[in-house]
Amino acid sequence: MNDPNKKSILIVDDEEIIRNFLSEVLGEKYDVSLASDGDEAIEQIKKRRFDLIITDLKMPRVPGEEVVKFAQQQDPTSRVIVISGFSSLYMVSQSINNGACAFLSKPFSIKELMETVTDAVNG
Amino acid sequence: MNLLRTIKSCSLRTKFVLPVSAMLILSSLVISGYLTKRQADSIRQELRASGETMIRIIAKNAESGVLFESKYELDELLAILSRFDAVTYGAIINKEGTVLSRFGYWDEKATKVKRFLPHVEPTDGLCQEFFIESSSGEEFIEMNYPILSRKEKLTRENLGLTGGLEGSVTHEKVTEEIGSIKLILSLAKVNESIAEARDTATLLMLVVLVLAIVILTFFVRVVTKPIKMLVEVTDQVSHGDLNQRVDIKQHDEIGHLANTFNKMIESLKQSRDEIEEYNRTLEERIVARTRELEQAQEQLIQSEKMGAIGQLAAGVAHELNNPLGGILGYAQFTLEKMKKSLPDKITSKDIDKYIRYLTDIETQVRRCKSIVQNLLRFSRASHIAEFEEIDVNKVIEDTITFVEHQLHMNQIELRVALDPNLPPIQGNAGQLQQVFTNLIINAMHASAAESEIKIISRYSPPMGEFDGAVELWFIDQGIGIAPENIKKVFEPFFTTKEVGKGTGLGLSVSYGIIKSHGGEIRVDSTVDERTTFTVILPVQKPSQKPDNRNEKLPGELSRSSNV
Repeated sequence: MNDPNKKSILIVDDEEIIRNFLSEVLGEKYDVSLASDGDEAIEQIKKRRFDLIITDLKMPRVPGEEVVKFAQQQDPTSRVIVISGFSSLYMVSQSINNGACAFLSKPFSIKELMETVTDAVNG
Repeated sequence: MNLLRTIKSCSLRTKFVLPVSAMLILSSLVISGYLTKRQADSIRQELRASGETMIRIIAKNAESGVLFESKYELDELLAILSRFDAVTYGAIINKEGTVLSRFGYWDEKATKVKRFLPHVEPTDGLCQEFFIESSSGEEFIEMNYPILSRKEKLTRENLGLTGGLEGSVTHEKVTEEIGSIKLILSLAKVNESIAEARDTATLLMLVVLVLAIVILTFFVRVVTKPIKMLVEVTDQVSHGDLNQRVDIKQHDEIGHLANTFNKMIESLKQSRDEIEEYNRTLEERIVARTRELEQAQEQLIQSEKMGAIGQLAAGVAHELNNPLGGILGYAQFTLEKMKKSLPDKITSKDIDKYIRYLTDIETQVRRCKSIVQNLLRFSRASHIAEFEEIDVNKVIEDTITFVEHQLHMNQIELRVALDPNLPPIQGNAGQLQQVFTNLIINAMHASAAESEIKIISRYSPPMGEFDGAVELWFIDQGIGIAPENIKKVFEPFFTTKEVGKGTGLGLSVSYGIIKSHGGEIRVDSTVDERTTFTVILPVQKPSQKPDNRNEKLPGELSRSSNV
């Protein structure tokens, strides 16, 4: 699983289908870890560094905003993409302010996803 | 007291006629009695006066007859008496008591009562009179008069035998009683005429009295007739007939009263007509106002629903976008895979993968469909909410699919215990869903993270006249409702939520909806512990559909919250 040549990505979403789909799509090119809520994500972030974190915003207990903030605290250079099913300009700007590098609104196409992820990982 | 009461209850006419007649009779009696007595006295006195005159004349002229005892002369003298009807007996008696002459007959022994009568003025003081009642009951007056002799007394001086003044002879007169005259006067004639006078007076009095009473009655009629008419009209007016008028054309106080009364009825009628007119238009106005209120209420329900939808929008969007994200992703992923791989290189492993992707897509599409259907049902315009047979458990489950994401977000655990034996009820699923959403969202707003909301349904089977009901409980462990607020929670626009978070209509609309289902909604709360909303929905027999048009806002309704 831990292929040192592959960039690592942490996928945080409480929706199973989204987690599964993302890991399916990104699993071919990246080393993918999964978390079903913010708490779990933060635990994983504490343990190791990820090249990219993709997180949902609305989640039980610890929401995505906290994940973004925590990741920035741990490592200000960490890259975070925020995905949300309910997007507003306010949420986008909040996420960017918190340190996210990109925002994806559900539903998104694979092309959109791959471009955003590639940009984020390489950028 | 009784007499007073009887008098008070007499008619006006009796009250007039009776005392006035009594007074008339009394005064007539007094006056005629007095006059009759006066007349009788004067007749009697006249008799006595003429008797006295007579006896005096006889006495003056009887001197010589008595002195000479000339019966002839005295008989001649007494013959005068025959000219007077009243004289029964007359006698001239000398000093010794011998009757010298007599007229008529008199029996001394027949005297029963003898009473001295005082003189009738003017008198010379010589006549003595007595009242006599005979044993046979006849009345008489007896008169006695002295017969005096006036002879000159010859004195020495008179005769000039003694010295004195020359030529002066004095004649001294000496009066001596030489006899008396007795006269008996019968009062029969006098009494007869007195009785006659009394009868005449009585007759006259009666005639006058009858005439007076007739005139009085007439006048009393003149007075009471219009009063009676006034009373009758007043009576009719008091029974609501304001078309009556008093027809009295008199120019006195009663006429004035009648005119005033007519004017009063006229203005009364006018006022009543105005009031009736006002009432009639009032009804119309009330109908119009009620219609406006009903429309406003309809709008309120609608806007509350819109508010609820707005509150749910984030959840719904999230709810939809998640499966859509999966669907889009998997569809594209599958497409790309299939485009890239050559047909002969597709392994059974690949096919398994594609099948899994497509199955996921199918599942997610169904999920989307269910959400959309739910949303549609919820937002369906329901000016006239149609009632149909519904499964309350199903409505609760549908509601939960809407809100569970939000509950999840707020880390609130939802525990549901639904009675599988719930019978169907007559109701509107959309409306009930609105109520349940409201109750759950309210519970969620009141609850802290990691608390629990319980939803329980239970069937309460029929018992006696009770047809059975579906009972629902929505129990949260939130902040609770303060006792001073618990009565107000169903009132429109009552909210303790911060501005913009609640419309204050949710529970009032819910109340109306449950009422329209013939049900009840109650609240029971302990501050900082828990709040329980109880919803009771009756199970109706198929014939009894509740009239769902009479939804009312609960502002004025009796609040059945068991507080």
